[in-house]
Amino acid sequence: MKRLMSAMIAILLICLVLAGINWQLDRSSRASQDNTLTIYNWGDYIDPALIKKFEKQTGIHVDYQTFDSNEAMLTKLRQGGTNYDVVVPSEYTVSRLKREHLLAPLDHAKLPNLQYVSAGLLDQSFDRHNRYSVPYFWGTLGIVYNDRLIARHQVQHWRQLWNPRLRKQLLLIDSARDVFAMALIIDHHSVNTTNPVYLHQAAHRLHKLAPNVKAVVADEMKMYMEDGEAAAGVTYSGEAREMMDNDPHLHYLVPSEGSNIWFDNLVIPRRAQHKAEAYRFINFMLEPHNAAQNARYIGYATPEPTAKKYLPKSVTNNKAFYPSAKVMKRLHVYSDLPLKDVGTYNDLFLEFKMLTR
Amino acid sequence: MKKQHTGWLGKVYLALVLVILYLPIFYLVYYSFSSGKTMEKFGHFSLVHYRVLATDTRMIQIVINTAIIALLSSLIATVIGTLGALVIKRVRFRQQRQVLLSLNNVLMVSPDVLIGASFLIFFTVIGLRLGFVSVLLSHIAFSIPIVVLMVLPKLNEMSPTLADAAADLGATPWQSLSRVTLPAMTPGILVGYFMAFTYSLDDFAVTFFVTGNGFTTLSVEIYSRARQGINLEINALSTVVFLLSLALVAGYYFLSSRAGRRNRVMTVKEGDVQ
Repeated sequence: MKRLMSAMIAILLICLVLAGINWQLDRSSRASQDNTLTIYNWGDYIDPALIKKFEKQTGIHVDYQTFDSNEAMLTKLRQGGTNYDVVVPSEYTVSRLKREHLLAPLDHAKLPNLQYVSAGLLDQSFDRHNRYSVPYFWGTLGIVYNDRLIARHQVQHWRQLWNPRLRKQLLLIDSARDVFAMALIIDHHSVNTTNPVYLHQAAHRLHKLAPNVKAVVADEMKMYMEDGEAAAGVTYSGEAREMMDNDPHLHYLVPSEGSNIWFDNLVIPRRAQHKAEAYRFINFMLEPHNAAQNARYIGYATPEPTAKKYLPKSVTNNKAFYPSAKVMKRLHVYSDLPLKDVGTYNDLFLEFKMLTR
Repeated sequence: MKKQHTGWLGKVYLALVLVILYLPIFYLVYYSFSSGKTMEKFGHFSLVHYRVLATDTRMIQIVINTAIIALLSSLIATVIGTLGALVIKRVRFRQQRQVLLSLNNVLMVSPDVLIGASFLIFFTVIGLRLGFVSVLLSHIAFSIPIVVLMVLPKLNEMSPTLADAAADLGATPWQSLSRVTLPAMTPGILVGYFMAFTYSLDDFAVTFFVTGNGFTTLSVEIYSRARQGINLEINALSTVVFLLSLALVAGYYFLSSRAGRRNRVMTVKEGDVQ
């Protein structure tokens, strides 16, 4: 009994000491400010130096919270009980949040730096007139290839992936919408089609691709491509960027006939308690110098042409990451489809995956 | 001869299992000293990631939060779980006892995600702000069944006549509990505490749902970094945590072996008296 009691007291004392240290750290980092801004973002998806800079400039304390998927973030926002002032959802989540009335409409007068965002990236189908969201980063779906195994002109178009020369040489990202997008684009259909005839036609086309597919993978694609396990892969620009940093023989391109474009966006939840601070933060992030610094840290494409000036030419001139205006017109955003159609996509994709085994 | 042979095989098998268990950890520790940015190529030896970690107050605060939650929640869960085990033991009817135990076990086996989601709904319905308190409460809740399960066997091992004897010799119920029953249960209670501690330390699923308002734990933070790829600061942190837990285990071993020696001396003395 005595031993248990002393153990208990010891544990409580340790807790007390830890809490003391924590309080001290909190006080020193906060420096007597009352106003706090809570940001809910993907883990490691902002340059921490920018948060420090924002705190210094405005005297607002930033509380940086993280999530690992749109769905998880959606659940927490839906349920309430927490306060988030700025959130960073992907585009299809923006439309979902909008539909559930979880977002506050943005007052563009309070965001003067919105003028720096490229007009071509505003007013997208998931949020007309950017009433609720501002683009944070964007990217594309495309083809990454290894120049030691295949020449550029052999993988420039989606159609070329069907070439028997690529037998067992192709990796695909494990995502129904993205894999179907390739086939739908070849047939000149919308990547958001729900027409079962078109979808079956696309599925039929994909079945013919099966002999070329080495594997349908997720994050492992990075490793396989860097090891030269496959000549080409279909993946997102952000992922491709990381592979290319590690292996100079890898290149990325967006087929000129069209592809998917994705956005991560800054939004303010309806229940946010520090809206004024949230506006200041969004405006701060849209400032071209800051946007450029963030893009350098993350490595994704910035939506601001002015910010590109502060980035290395080798990056901004790269057509793969900043496609030409002509290609940009052929990039399409996925819209958030009804559950029934998502089911159709997934079922057909599953059939396809079984063929590739 | 044959016995020797199996002994040799056994040793190899044991070594293999240990190597497989520890290799990933050492791999991670090794790269924490790399000057590079990824785990693909080892640059040269450097402490840069440790320096980054030391200046990252947010990370340090998260680690401290995680430690406080783990220490405190397992302590409270141990107290409640021990009392619970005592009560379950006292229930006279076998059927009733079985029902209580099964209810306890259902919580053990039900998926964490489910428990987490139901906590989130529960806390928001009663209007509790998510943060330290909600995480603490949920950790206590999922730790209690573990403690009960660890303590109960010790209680069953104990001869029921011991408590009767204490009562016969004039001990009040409180005295018999504190002087006889609890000391007999102590090993079980300690094991229960440590199990609850480790459960709390590495829980992601439940914690993810109930964190919020500036409060987060290590597992939630690391997991949410997965999209960007985990950087080597995490390796440095894991190394520190690994060394810390190694020190804890060593300390526990040292203490318990000393206590063991003392106990042995005591029993010998008692034997002499007899």
